[in-house]
Amino acid sequence: MPVQVLKERNSSKVTSITLGATKEQGGTRTGTITVGGEASLPFLHFEGEMPNKPVIAMEVVDRVPEEWNEELKAAFEGVMDSPAAWAKKSVEEFGADMIFLKLQSADPELGNSSPEKCIETVKSVLAAVGVPLAVVGCGIDEVDNKVIAAVAEACAGENLLLGFATQENYNTIVAACMVHKHTVIAQSPLDINICKQLNILISEMGLPLDKIIIDPSIGGLGYGIEYAYSIGERGRIGTLQGDKMLALPTLGTIGFEAWKAKEANVGIDEFPGWGEQAERGILWEAVTASALLQSGLDILVMRHPEAVKLVRKNIGDLMVPNSL
Amino acid sequence: MNKYQVTFMPDKVTVAVMKGTNLLLAAKKAGIDIESPCGGHGTCGKCAVKILNGAYDMQDDSHLPKELKEMGYTLACQVKVRNDMTVEVPFLSRLTRHKVVLGSKRTKFNKEHDYFGKKPMDPICRKYAVQLEAPYLSDSLNDLDRLKHALSRQYGLTDVRIALSCLKTLPSALRQGGWEVTVTVADTGSAAEIVAVEPGRSTKPAYGIAVDIGTTTVVVNLLNTEKGKILDKAGSYNKQAVYGSDVISRIIYTDEHADGLALLQKAVVETINELIDGILRKNGLEPGDIPVMVCGGNTVMTHLFMGVTASYLRLEPYVPSAVKFPVVKARELNININPEAAVITIPSVASYVGGDITAGVLATMIARSEALTLFIDIGTNGELVLGNKDWMVTCSCSAGPAFEGSGISCGMRAMDGAIDWIAIDHQSLEVQCKVIGDTKPLGICGSGLIYSLSEMMEAGIIDRAGKILTGKASGRIRKTSEGREYVLIYAEESGTGQDIVITEGDIKNLLRAKGAIFAGIRTMLQMVQLDTSAIERVYIAGGFGNDINLADAVNIGLLPDLPAEKYEYVGNSCIQGAMIVLLCREALAESEKLADGMTYLELSVGNQFMDEFISAMFIPHTDLSLFPTLHSA
Repeated sequence: MPVQVLKERNSSKVTSITLGATKEQGGTRTGTITVGGEASLPFLHFEGEMPNKPVIAMEVVDRVPEEWNEELKAAFEGVMDSPAAWAKKSVEEFGADMIFLKLQSADPELGNSSPEKCIETVKSVLAAVGVPLAVVGCGIDEVDNKVIAAVAEACAGENLLLGFATQENYNTIVAACMVHKHTVIAQSPLDINICKQLNILISEMGLPLDKIIIDPSIGGLGYGIEYAYSIGERGRIGTLQGDKMLALPTLGTIGFEAWKAKEANVGIDEFPGWGEQAERGILWEAVTASALLQSGLDILVMRHPEAVKLVRKNIGDLMVPNSL
Repeated sequence: MNKYQVTFMPDKVTVAVMKGTNLLLAAKKAGIDIESPCGGHGTCGKCAVKILNGAYDMQDDSHLPKELKEMGYTLACQVKVRNDMTVEVPFLSRLTRHKVVLGSKRTKFNKEHDYFGKKPMDPICRKYAVQLEAPYLSDSLNDLDRLKHALSRQYGLTDVRIALSCLKTLPSALRQGGWEVTVTVADTGSAAEIVAVEPGRSTKPAYGIAVDIGTTTVVVNLLNTEKGKILDKAGSYNKQAVYGSDVISRIIYTDEHADGLALLQKAVVETINELIDGILRKNGLEPGDIPVMVCGGNTVMTHLFMGVTASYLRLEPYVPSAVKFPVVKARELNININPEAAVITIPSVASYVGGDITAGVLATMIARSEALTLFIDIGTNGELVLGNKDWMVTCSCSAGPAFEGSGISCGMRAMDGAIDWIAIDHQSLEVQCKVIGDTKPLGICGSGLIYSLSEMMEAGIIDRAGKILTGKASGRIRKTSEGREYVLIYAEESGTGQDIVITEGDIKNLLRAKGAIFAGIRTMLQMVQLDTSAIERVYIAGGFGNDINLADAVNIGLLPDLPAEKYEYVGNSCIQGAMIVLLCREALAESEKLADGMTYLELSVGNQFMDEFISAMFIPHTDLSLFPTLHSA
């Protein structure tokens, strides 16, 4: 007896957004990346198309992140003091689809880099790799408003992915994106209402919706991942039901959240039953990523090359249309 | 213990008080009512007075605004008298005469759409002129039974009791009137009672008093209950305001002071008595002419009026002492009318849906209509009723007193000096405003706040999240240590000598208030699984309701985006309900049925309300599709 497969009829889909710009498009990238466009819940290929696979952006920091786990630092040995080299290695050796550059040294307590210095860093990374670039600030609003606005101007036309616009601080960065043709990351604190409100606020400033990527905030494995999942799911269901203000691709800072977990960092000597830390940390990041892929993330910001490898394989498997 | 003289200026009223008396209470004793929304805890900073001379002990005046402190003011509630004193009470700190919404302009309940369109009036109190046979030796029936027989024979009235005080006057009245008397009978359903006896045939009609006991204001209407005619209206602020501006701080006052409950009861009774005295004097009537009074008020007000503790309303699981209160005699509550008069309170539904709402539902006749009606009473709390003749649900959403001007830096109640309308030029950001009483502006009232929010949004001063934007260059947008603010009126044009501003904090408070009401509406609709579009009619009630501008209220997302013709302002529906009960015994029974029949929805159960509330904290709403007419504009 043939099995009747029940299919949801969805009236709407996620907006497709292209990141980066080639020479013809006014930038310097060798290729662009398009995310979004899903017309179903994640990976339900039989129900609706999923034209673009989720992409992995590897994280690069513009200062040596001493606080990172030794295992992580070992993977990038020799390139961590040069964002350009770090980015190059990430793309050429580890196959990153994008680079996620964190201008952490702009923080007055972590280097106090001037906007000019930050522009220099971004330019060097742009020169080193051909993939699209995401650039975010140090997290201090006043500093980021100067740094990101300067980067946006200096890299006009590159269609960078700039962040973070938050409900408290979105005007400057959104204006910079509008004027200099970039895409913005709209970050909300695990709250679907604020997520939507921020998108409304940004689009009312005049930035088109296809220039906004959502960062709904996530929790790592064991640290509220289920909550992050349900926020992602709610957003996607809202999207499919026709909510234009939620119908945007999403980004998750996987590496940052996963490597914060105690379970990713403590050594085997402390918890003999937990197994080797190196393997455990990688898996912690990979599992966080694969779990949240199911909530509909389009851009995974990751750290460890081994975790990236595992997740890329996972994405490849999931993108094979099922026989249904 | 020593007594000291405290003189209040510029009134020049002197009272003698004990050493250590709180200055706020001394002022109260002197008959000067000072604003004290926090109930004398020193936290609201509103009871500023200037001490001209005398010794006193100061507690904590850290909540007094800095500018006032520099001008030599101090907080009355934090001052304890230590010697003779002279104190100046500035206009700003006074509870001046209120602009009270006295109800609709109707003077008679005989229009077709009214309650009495299809129903005859059947007032609770009637006067009966009775002609008795004079007794003689072989017919020596006693006076009272003779009266009862005559009532039964002439009017078919049986089972009539008589108040003792009336029995005392009966024998002489009968003889004085040549065996003709006029008796006033109050029939509240359970038993009819003679509450007044007049010799001969009285020319005065039967009167009645309807009272709306509001948290902020009290309104009294005098009626000719025979004709159903409203003879006069009066209103003033509730004197309980001295003990706190909202019901919760008043309950706390009763908990923290041994005589608190008695004081609060006395305050509201005093308020009602003053209003009645005034209205009776104006109409040439005596207190004894009033044989009945019907009151409507929220559950807490009803408790406090009756002198029953409301403490347990405040504590989980929020249980009231009673929702239906017994009919009592005026003398039991010290109401200054006929001591035997029946005092009826309209039953409440639950802790936070009171008799005022029952009265409103009665007056708007929601329970007799096919049309699905939403009834909104916006005050300190937003109370909602949804339903029609088949079912009714009700809930209360703690909107907070922002629309009454509380918790807003330059907020005030709708009284003289309050800005109740503003317009902002979109280019220059200059402000035009209207002030109640055409005086210099002192602050902003609820309707002014709604206009402000809507206008600031339209002019691009704030974004949809209520944040003040800096994009527009104007000296009116300023940054202070507590965030940004927008100057509506500069100090030199204001009546307070200070700038009148709206801060980001104020906007947050307003968004919370409007969000709570809208979320209440949405949650209630979802609980009964209906869509906003299913609502066929919206009645807006409350003192605030009369000044509310519909377009702007929808614009900020306070009210659902429904066609304007579905909305109707009903004004003070509580007093209307109280008047209907005065005029119709069946309405009294109906009010009890209504209170029983409304299903109370507790919004704090589950997280649906919270979710809706967060979505509604945006102008107009996170879900713009709920406001299609604004969205397309």
